[in-house]
Amino acid sequence: MVKKISFLIFSVAILVIGVISFNKLSYGDRSTRIFSFSSDAPFEGRMGRGPEGREEFVRPEMRELPDSLRQQFGPQDGERMGRGHDEGGLRNVEDRGRAEFPGGKKINIRNVKWFLAVFALFTVLAIYIDKAYCLIRKRKL
Amino acid sequence: MNVYKFFLSLSLTIVMLLLMDPRSFYGLSFHEWAGLIIGLFFILHKILNWGWIKKVTMSFFRKCSGKARLNYVLDVLLLAGITLMILSGISISRTIDFSWLNLGGSPMFWRVMHTSSSYITLALFGIHLGLHWNWILQRLHIKKVKNGKEN
Repeated sequence: MVKKISFLIFSVAILVIGVISFNKLSYGDRSTRIFSFSSDAPFEGRMGRGPEGREEFVRPEMRELPDSLRQQFGPQDGERMGRGHDEGGLRNVEDRGRAEFPGGKKINIRNVKWFLAVFALFTVLAIYIDKAYCLIRKRKL
Repeated sequence: MNVYKFFLSLSLTIVMLLLMDPRSFYGLSFHEWAGLIIGLFFILHKILNWGWIKKVTMSFFRKCSGKARLNYVLDVLLLAGITLMILSGISISRTIDFSWLNLGGSPMFWRVMHTSSSYITLALFGIHLGLHWNWILQRLHIKKVKNGKEN
């Protein structure tokens, strides 16, 4: 009984984390985007605001940033990357291959956990739906 | 044979999860090469289960259990998903040159196709694993095989 209850709690935890990850990744929207894709439609920008609605982005000067942010993207980073102080914190794009993402040589599995959670969500759902179906079939026979 | 099948399925799952984010692991070059290799792994997975595929194909519209039918339809969808994923991946690849294939279509279309097909395929992978959960428990010796019958 204890084993069954602990499995149930574990499954509920997987479901909750899975749903959170599902929403965080906009999983439903991204999965179905291909069905609403139109090659004739103009590109609407990242948030669907359209080119007219897009606010012009003004890059703040380094000296205008608060102290906490200036420390984070401080001069030491900029010097290490061989760039001027005002561009500190930006990665040296020229050194990377054109197809490489930032941190390409480092093992980075930070985002994989969200996908693992969604994957586990679908697995747990399938297990319980299958169990429920078998139980209903057994009762009918 | 079942041990090979189990480890192949396990490695397929792990690689598939690592491939979901192109920034993960060793970056885009890993993403593209592993994406191609996973296609070969998938074909190997199908070859190892060829007996089941043949049996269900022959009896799909006649004598076949509902679960076997569901698994079969899911497998066909997975095959379609993996094919679309690899095809769209080839057309938007940056570290491997596939320009000689001339697949056509806009890069935006292929990019959206790649994202959507990979997200749908991961969900199908999860459901596929859930429907084969008893088989996995049997392989791990957590659950006993009933009447000598395997899932």
